[in-house]
Amino acid sequence: MSTPTKLTRAISVIAHVDHGKTTLSDRLLEYTGTVAQRDMVEQVLDQLDLERERGITIKAQAVRMLYKADDGNTYQINLIDTPGHVDFSYEVSRALAACDGAILVVDASQGIEAQTLANVHQALDHHLKIVPVVNKIDLPQANPELVREEIEKVIGLPAESVIFASARQGIGTKEILEAVVREVPPPTGDPDAPLQALIFDAKFDAYRGVVTYIRVLEGTLRKGMRIQMMQTGKSFEVDEVGIFRPDRTPVEDLSAGEVGYLIANIRNVRDSRVGDTVTDEARPAAAPLPGYRHVTPMVFAGLFPTDTEQYQQLKEALEKLQLNDAALVYEPETSAALGFGFRCGFLGLLHMEIVQERLEREFNLTLLGTAPTVEYRVKLRTGEEIPVDNPDHLPNPSEIEAISEPMVLATIVVPSTYVGNMMELSQERRGQFLNMEYEPGDRVVITYRMPLAEIIHDYYDQLKSRSKGYASLDYELVGFEEADLVKLDVLVAGSPVDALSMIVDRSKAQQQGRRLAEKLKTLIPRQLFEVPIQAAIGGKVVARETVPAMRKDVTAKCYGGDVTRKRKLLEKQKEGKKRLKRVGNVEIPQEAFMAVLSLD
Amino acid sequence: MERIHSLYLHVPFCTWVCKYCDFNAYAVLEGLIPPYVEALSREVAVAAAELPIGPLETVFIGGGTPSLLTGAQVRKVMDGVRAIGLAPSAEVTLEANPSNVTGQAVEGWLGAGINRLSVGVQSLQPDALRFLERLHSGTDAIAAIRTARSGGFANVSADLLYGVPGVSLDAWLDTLESVLDEGVQHLSAYELTVESGTRLGQEVRTGLVQMPGADDQLEQYWAAAARLETAGYRHYEISNWAQPGFPCRHNLSAWNYQPYLGVGAGAHSMFRLDDGSTERRWKVKGPHAYIKQVSAGGHAVDGDETLSPERARGEAAMIGVRLLDGTSSTRDFPEQRHDLVGAGLLLENAGQVRLTRRGVELANQVGAAFLVEAASAEQGKR
Repeated sequence: MSTPTKLTRAISVIAHVDHGKTTLSDRLLEYTGTVAQRDMVEQVLDQLDLERERGITIKAQAVRMLYKADDGNTYQINLIDTPGHVDFSYEVSRALAACDGAILVVDASQGIEAQTLANVHQALDHHLKIVPVVNKIDLPQANPELVREEIEKVIGLPAESVIFASARQGIGTKEILEAVVREVPPPTGDPDAPLQALIFDAKFDAYRGVVTYIRVLEGTLRKGMRIQMMQTGKSFEVDEVGIFRPDRTPVEDLSAGEVGYLIANIRNVRDSRVGDTVTDEARPAAAPLPGYRHVTPMVFAGLFPTDTEQYQQLKEALEKLQLNDAALVYEPETSAALGFGFRCGFLGLLHMEIVQERLEREFNLTLLGTAPTVEYRVKLRTGEEIPVDNPDHLPNPSEIEAISEPMVLATIVVPSTYVGNMMELSQERRGQFLNMEYEPGDRVVITYRMPLAEIIHDYYDQLKSRSKGYASLDYELVGFEEADLVKLDVLVAGSPVDALSMIVDRSKAQQQGRRLAEKLKTLIPRQLFEVPIQAAIGGKVVARETVPAMRKDVTAKCYGGDVTRKRKLLEKQKEGKKRLKRVGNVEIPQEAFMAVLSLD
Repeated sequence: MERIHSLYLHVPFCTWVCKYCDFNAYAVLEGLIPPYVEALSREVAVAAAELPIGPLETVFIGGGTPSLLTGAQVRKVMDGVRAIGLAPSAEVTLEANPSNVTGQAVEGWLGAGINRLSVGVQSLQPDALRFLERLHSGTDAIAAIRTARSGGFANVSADLLYGVPGVSLDAWLDTLESVLDEGVQHLSAYELTVESGTRLGQEVRTGLVQMPGADDQLEQYWAAAARLETAGYRHYEISNWAQPGFPCRHNLSAWNYQPYLGVGAGAHSMFRLDDGSTERRWKVKGPHAYIKQVSAGGHAVDGDETLSPERARGEAAMIGVRLLDGTSSTRDFPEQRHDLVGAGLLLENAGQVRLTRRGVELANQVGAAFLVEAASAEQGKR
């Protein structure tokens, strides 16, 4: 059953986090009968348990819906749900590239936020037709009229095109679908042209190998066809093509304009890169689609098993996880303090948390993560330039000519009351002020150029707390810049703990050292003996604190029922200590390794 | 199952439940004493028929306030105990609140076969007694010890509390001195411990009461230990001191990991099974429910647990190290023992270990080390 191209639509839903994107997508599926209401697990599209728990989308999803519109035609609407976090902005951009239109969801009480703007700009870059929706109009604090006005003034979409909706209550669903078939243009591709299909996601299926999510832009993809990935150059034979309804449903072919999947005995997601172009090996397209980028990790951290015997398990778990996560990179790392583990690269902090959580949950590991860092470029006196993603690997200062660090362009959207706080925070974090614009609805858009290292060190949480939660943030990498940086070392009980080293701005190093020592003092539990903590720069101690020895831990009574109670209590305490890593004689908890993230 | 030679009987009634107490004790239920005594006797008889028990070397009637029982009631309970078989030299202890120790009561208890009286003195400082909600005065407490001794008790113990808010080191030592003047054979000094779920716990949590710091608590503890040693008392367990020949045999046997039967509401039993595992079993806590279930012919068991031989050895070590005359209970854990000796918490001599001064202060850490070792030994075996 194929749909004429003019009745095909491909759309995405874009929104700031928590504005109700997934709930709205669910309503669309329900309304079009793609998923029966009784089968509706709340939020069908977020499939990982983690995604459902956190209320965020990590992997893109795609579903085909059939909608009988008021004009009497039945339209095929392909809905691509995109990840909702700045860590995954490249995936978002590829998903958008696979669409012709986008439903923009704005929360009726929150209004436009930094990610809303970033998403709109991206959508406009891809020439998407935008259908604006003000969601959550049923909430008591909703102000849909004001938000509608904001959409017109800030984004330039006519107020009368804005649809009021409550995804939770199903208000506005039909209006949205009508606007989609009316406003979003049909695809323009030619089914007979050489094949060009854009990969916008891929996931690993233990039985079938990689399932590649694609949109066919030109030509037709058929089962049995020999295909080539134009960026990686690898070829495969297509075993199956299909569509999502929302479960995988095989079809004979996918032609220009259609969204679906292909399975071709691909064993690793690395061979099915997001952004790559699938073409017909026998009749290849002249050029790949534009916009491909080899995704590189932005933040790096060590992951170590707290139980050294779990090293092999961790290795196997990472291998498995990597099959499904092309953005995850890792290599073995040895820490004098933490033993054998892996240095892992992530797209951002959320990605890091998710990976650690999945490793622990799905593979039953207990891990200790070190504080994330960025990748520095170190120019040596020899003229050689080396990347350094682990502070402990920073060469001796005498060998260093210069250090460059990654910089980002940060966009903050905040009510005007908090502008002062935002600027103060950003200056503290070595930000270079670029621009400030007042927008309607008492919103100010501030842009800064600042080191990525500062962003990953608690910047977002500070932004939120110093704006009473109103500020929102978006950022993109804009290159490297030389900086005056030094390595701060930490000694616990006289021994350097490599995993606690950090690279900091020279002018702030001493202060950071003091704060870190103070913080560690509160995080390292009292031990049987006194534990000195020192922070040092280039061998010179700049701060010293002492964790006093445990004074007393003795139960006065041990009779009858006390025995069971006491034993259980002691066993529980020991259980809680699993997360402690023994470094020399000292037991250091996980939080201590993260202390460098929040020194304000 | 290893033969049982120790019996604990619990009496959960009190005139007033002091605010720091988290034992299984109830005020205003004295009306239940007669049926409760019936139930106790019945449980003793049933246990005698079902378990390898006796002759009993030690019997301990604890509470609550067992001294609320009349001489006749104690006699009834003891008649049942004697039916199990009581060794001629058996130690038979009754815990007593000073308010209840009259000449008549003493006569009744002695007549019923009690030969050791443990008096809950707690403190002699008026402010401390008020804070602790004790209904007797310091004078009452001293009088109680004298009455017991003159009435014929040759083995009297006093329970004291230190680390009570508002009580200075000197005041604490004054209390200790006055009690020593009475020539008690045995003395238990417990740190006032804040238990959650007690009124004291709530007062501390809400900031109404501030407990002394660890340094002050330990200062009072070690000062008492020094004084008691000078006075000829042997510090044989973390919180217990005795004149030569007078340690509490009942408790000593439990600390040496010997089995015991616990009878009465909320009482715990410990059995040693033939494969080296330990079974612990406890009775329902509420006196109403206990009486009802026992009268209906039930066992009134509320829960139980069985520890594998490995974990039982860990538990034995955890308890055993509290014995300051030395213990061989850590014999299966040479590595842990070595580490703890290295850390300055244990002293070792020919396989026997005892806690150092620092080890006493951190006894739970020492105990936990053996428990953990035992748990991993158990896992390794699986």
